[in-house]
Amino acid sequence: MAKGIDIGTMNIICSEKEDGDIVFTQERNAFLELESSDLTKTMMDSAQVLYIERDNVVYVLGEDAFKFATIFGKTARRPMKSGIISPNEKDAIPTIKLILERVLGEPRYRNEVLCISSPADPIDTNMNALYHKKMMEALARKMNYKTHVIDEGLGVVYSELSEYNFTGLGISIGAGLTNVTLAYLATPVMSFSIGRGGDWIDEQVSITTGLSREYVCSEKERGFKIGLEVEYGSAYGALSIYYDALMTYIIKNINRKLSEITPPKVEFPVALAGGSSLPEGFLEMFERKLREAKLQINISNIKRAKDPMYSVSKGCLIAARAQEGEEIGHEEVTEEIV
Amino acid sequence: MDSNVIAQHRILKHGSLIYYAGSAIFASGIALFAVGTAFIMMQKIHYGSEPEKIFLSSIFIGVGATMILTGMNMMMRQTRYGYHLIGAGTFASLFALLVFTYNYPQKWYYPLINYVLALYVVGLLVLVGNAFANVVLWMIEGKPDTVMRREVQRIYTDEEIERDIEDATRKSIELSASELIFKEPYAKDVKYGKIFHEKRGTTTRIKDNLDEVTSLVKTVNPGERIKSGSAEIEGASKNLLDILRVGSVKKSKSREIKDKIVDTMERFYSLITVKRGG
Ligand SMILES: Nc1ncnc2c1ncn2[C@@H]1O[C@H](COP(=O)(O)OP(=O)(O)O)[C@@H](O)[C@H]1O
Ligand SMILES: [Mg+2]
Repeated sequence: MAKGIDIGTMNIICSEKEDGDIVFTQERNAFLELESSDLTKTMMDSAQVLYIERDNVVYVLGEDAFKFATIFGKTARRPMKSGIISPNEKDAIPTIKLILERVLGEPRYRNEVLCISSPADPIDTNMNALYHKKMMEALARKMNYKTHVIDEGLGVVYSELSEYNFTGLGISIGAGLTNVTLAYLATPVMSFSIGRGGDWIDEQVSITTGLSREYVCSEKERGFKIGLEVEYGSAYGALSIYYDALMTYIIKNINRKLSEITPPKVEFPVALAGGSSLPEGFLEMFERKLREAKLQINISNIKRAKDPMYSVSKGCLIAARAQEGEEIGHEEVTEEIV
Repeated sequence: MDSNVIAQHRILKHGSLIYYAGSAIFASGIALFAVGTAFIMMQKIHYGSEPEKIFLSSIFIGVGATMILTGMNMMMRQTRYGYHLIGAGTFASLFALLVFTYNYPQKWYYPLINYVLALYVVGLLVLVGNAFANVVLWMIEGKPDTVMRREVQRIYTDEEIERDIEDATRKSIELSASELIFKEPYAKDVKYGKIFHEKRGTTTRIKDNLDEVTSLVKTVNPGERIKSGSAEIEGASKNLLDILRVGSVKKSKSREIKDKIVDTMERFYSLITVKRGG
């Protein structure tokens, strides 16, 4: 059966196949510490809040962490930063483990294949994705999954570019990172990440406008449209400007990395995914800037994933099922021989 | 001192050791050769001379020539397999001389002479060839500088050392991380809230048959797509994937590999056309 999971800075999204559907199960990658008392626990139980208790501290997990943060005037903590386990959060690993356990659920049988997405090494910050990757694998293996890791960008290629024989540029613009993979016939030719994404936009806009980061983020997610016609005092103008800056930065870096390799001489389609690619006007602006940039490769067409939030997770599911199918296939072959 | 510096030190010391040993061998070789030649002249050796004298002069000159070439090679900076070649060449010619000493003069007949002579000459040619290749390499790089210093710096550039160290570190992380076992000091003390195990989270259903899986399997195993007479296609595509799998290739290296890729690509394209979207 197999499962896929996209472990992002903001969202952890599991995917699996059920009859003719893909079912995505998701949770926010966040938590909040509260002092434990019987009253809070009773209250939370009746309000169906997700939490655990340890050493007389209640940890609210997932989406609810944000709600409670607003109520209690705190900020929710995040176990991951810039795409990997946060180095400044001692509770990061146990928290991610809890969220994973919940979102993934038990394997339906021992050694069910689970494909995990992982960021590629970033080119603009000094950080190493390897530790993160291995840690996530170890967590899932402990739950009796048979793990397999792919780069986030490749996940986008798998889920969006099948009609092009899995050849093309997959770009996932998430919260902490932007991941890019150039694939040729399903094989990654170039894979890297860039340390900017939705969080960076929130931060920059918050600095320039003086509005709080949370407010900026909620305005951004509330159906904002990229464009330069804005009202005075709204965050939209600054958001558009920083979206523009983010795209320029991403495209510059893609071109820089492309100049270091010798890509096959074919036309590459481009697929955009990730939560930060959701705003209206994103695709048009990105396409314009990409065409103006005159990349080192020929771009055929540019599209946005059908469901940008779920694209990476679906890519993982495809990879997992392909692998499981192959294993079953090989087993059948050996049986025939015997 | 940091470990990088120590490593560099060791390498430098290693390099100069080889250099001095090489020059000693070279000098001894010259001496032997000279003695051998002098011996021939003084004894007026010719075809019909006493076998002992012929034997002695052959050994002097033979060993001398080998040592000259070996020493010379050792004094040069070597390419990656240089030292293996030197070893092989030296061994071949010395072994030939050894066989000669055992068989001369009683059993010194054809075709044994052919074999021994051939082995000796091959050994010498390997040494000459290796030296020649190194000299040519130098000239191409335009750095006909003192031998040893260059050698050390060229074989192990900082970049290479760094890359080696990084590779080793990466491997060790990878290895130990694969064996991570979590002890979980708090697992026992965790009390789960009521809904923790009730449902798994917010779910979204999307109608999708996931046909991509079949395409992916086909793309990754092109062998299954073209069933008959596909050995060549399979070979070509496998080649290509192998090259591409190297990942991001640095510019300097890419030049080397470029021709290979272009070559393979062309072969590949004549066989398969990639579906392109409009
Ligand atoms: N409708 C929206 N418009 C703009 N940005 C959005 C929208 N919805 C989510 N985002 C942003 O997308 C990011 C999360 O996307 P996601 O792909 O889940 O990231 P990650 O994989 O890093 O967790 C956040 O920065 C969030 O603010
Ligand atoms: Mg993501």
